[in-house]
Amino acid sequence: MERIFLYNRQLNAFLETLRLFGELHAPALNDSGVMAFSPLAESSDLRLDYSRTQIPPKKYLIPFREEILHYTGGTYRQGHPHPPVIVLFGVHPCDLDGIAYLDLVFMGEAPDPAYAERRAKLILVGVSCEPDDFCFCSGSRPSSSCDLFLTACGDGFLLSASSAKGEAIASAASDLLVEPPSTITSPATGACGVTAQDPQLRFSGNPLWERFADTCVSCGACSVCCPTCYCFDVREYPALSGGGTRLREWDNCLFVTHGEVAGGNFREGRLDRLRYRFLHKYCGFTPLQGMTSCVGCGRCKAVCPVDIDLRELFGEGEEPYRGAP
Amino acid sequence: MKEGRGAHIPFAATLLERRDLSEDTALFRILPEASALEPLSAFIPGQFVQLSVPGGGEVPISPADLPSADGTLELCVRRVGHVTELLHQAKAGAPLGIRGPFGTGFPLKEMEGRPVLLLAGGLGIAPLRSLLMHLLRNQARFGEITLMYGARQPKLMLFREELAALAAKGGLRLYLTVDFAPEEPAGTYSCAVGLLPDLLKGYRFDAENSYAAVCGPPPLYRCLTADLERAGVGASRILLSLERRMRCGIGRCCHCAVGQKLCCVDGPVFRASDLKPIPEAL
Repeated sequence: MERIFLYNRQLNAFLETLRLFGELHAPALNDSGVMAFSPLAESSDLRLDYSRTQIPPKKYLIPFREEILHYTGGTYRQGHPHPPVIVLFGVHPCDLDGIAYLDLVFMGEAPDPAYAERRAKLILVGVSCEPDDFCFCSGSRPSSSCDLFLTACGDGFLLSASSAKGEAIASAASDLLVEPPSTITSPATGACGVTAQDPQLRFSGNPLWERFADTCVSCGACSVCCPTCYCFDVREYPALSGGGTRLREWDNCLFVTHGEVAGGNFREGRLDRLRYRFLHKYCGFTPLQGMTSCVGCGRCKAVCPVDIDLRELFGEGEEPYRGAP
Repeated sequence: MKEGRGAHIPFAATLLERRDLSEDTALFRILPEASALEPLSAFIPGQFVQLSVPGGGEVPISPADLPSADGTLELCVRRVGHVTELLHQAKAGAPLGIRGPFGTGFPLKEMEGRPVLLLAGGLGIAPLRSLLMHLLRNQARFGEITLMYGARQPKLMLFREELAALAAKGGLRLYLTVDFAPEEPAGTYSCAVGLLPDLLKGYRFDAENSYAAVCGPPPLYRCLTADLERAGVGASRILLSLERRMRCGIGRCCHCAVGQKLCCVDGPVFRASDLKPIPEAL
C-alpha cells in the first residue's frame, strides 16, 4: 500500500515541510477574535477545527483594492503585484470550489494578468471538514481543486495530490507518511446542496421575495464574504506629480450605485437587487450561464444581520415555489 | 479586439479638436497612437470604445462614425459626470487613452437589402450616427434609409445641419421632432412638435421587411418597441442599443449586467426579442 497517511502527531512537522514551499497561511483567530486565513507564525495558532473564516480565500487572488494600471509619461502601464509564493493550508472543499469558479472567470480565454500572477503563486492544501447548521452541503467531500488534499479519518489524514506541486509536497514529506492503518474506513462523502436554480423563480409571485426585501438592509455583507462574488469597480486617481493610478476594488450588487447609469438606475429597489443577486449566484451569468456559483459555504447566512436565508426560497428538499395555487 | 497586450490597457491617443454641438455636448476628434489603428479599424457601428482621461478614469463611448482613413475617431460626449467633465475641459493636444472596440455592433450583413428605420432620442443619435454613415456610404446594399430623431428642443438637436444636408442629397428620409419649440429663424430644417412615437404613428413603411435601430433614454425603448411591433416589425429585427456603466469592457466586472447577459460582451446592441424575458433591461 502507498504511504499516504499522516498521523495527527506529525501535523506540526508537516506544516514545517509546507513552509519550505512558500509563506504558510492557514485559518487562525486574528487579534479581533475573527477567524481568518492569515500568516501562520506559530504552528500552535492553527485552528483546523474551524467552521469557516469570515472572509473567503478570494482575498489572496482579488485583493480588496489593487492597482491595475499606472499612468506615467503619456502611457498606461500594467501594474505588477509581484506576490510571494503562498501555501494556503486548511482550505475546505467549498472554498476550493470557490477558487475553481474564480479561475473560470479570470483565467479563461484571456487571463487577467494580476489574477494569473497571484494564482500561479498560490499553493492550495485542502482539508476535509464537518458541515454545521449554516453549511449548504450534505457532508464533507474530497476535492481535487487544489494541489494537495487531506481527508481527516481516524487518527490522521489521507493525502491525495492533484498536481505536480502537490506531489512534490507529498514527496518532501514522505518521511512523515505511512501506509494507512487497516482500521480506518473511507469517510462518507457528501455533496454541495445547492444546485442551479430556474431563473423563472426570480419572477415568481413567491411572497418570500417581498419579505426578504422588506428586511434586507443592503449592507452587502453576503456579497463581501461570498467566495465567488467578484464584481469590481474601477477608479482612477491623479498623482500630484502628474500621471495617475487606476485601481479596481470589490464592488457590491446590493449597493444602490451598482445599477446606476448617467440618467438613472436599473436596480433602484432592494427587491430588484436581491433578485439580481439571486439570478447571478444561482442561475449563472454569461458565459457561465446555467452554472450556480454558490459553493455552499454558508457564510452569507452566517453573517446576514436580518437572517435572510435564500434556501427558504428554493424550498430545500421540497418542490420550489411555482406561483400561488 | 485582439489580446496580447492585455485588452484592459489603453493605447495612447491625442485630442485633436472639439466642436460644440449644444450647451453640454461636443464632438471630439481624437487620434489614437499608430499601434491602436489596426484594432480600432475593426469597429462595427454600435460597438463602443473605452475612452480614458488620464488621472480621471474611463468611460464607454460609442463612436459617432467609423474611423477615418487616417485613424481619427469622432466621439460625441455629453458633460454628465467626472470623466466627461474632465474631457470637456481638455484642450487640443491633450493626452487621452483608448481601447476597444468592444461588444457587438449592428448585424450589418443581415440588414443588407432591407429598409432600415433609425429612431434616435436625444443623445441616442451619437451611436446611431455611425450606423447612419455606414448605411449612406453603402446605400446600394441597403433598402430605404429613414431617420427619426427627437430632442427636447431645437437647440438641443445634435448634427441638425449635417443631417439636413444629408437628407438634401437624397437617400435619407429625415424626420425631426422636438418636445417644445420656441420661435425659430426661417430657413432651418423644420421639425415637428411632438414625441417620437407620434412621429412613428403616422409613418407608413414596409414593416414586414424593415429593420429598426433604436437608441435613446429608457422610456423611449419601452414605448417604441411596442409601437414597432404593432406596426409589424418583428422583435428580432428591432435592434436596441443599451446604456450601462461598463467598467472593464471585457465581461469581468459585472457592472453592466442586463439579467444574465452583460452589456459589454452580449451588447450593447440587443434584439428586442432577446430582452423581452429580462424585466430590468429597459
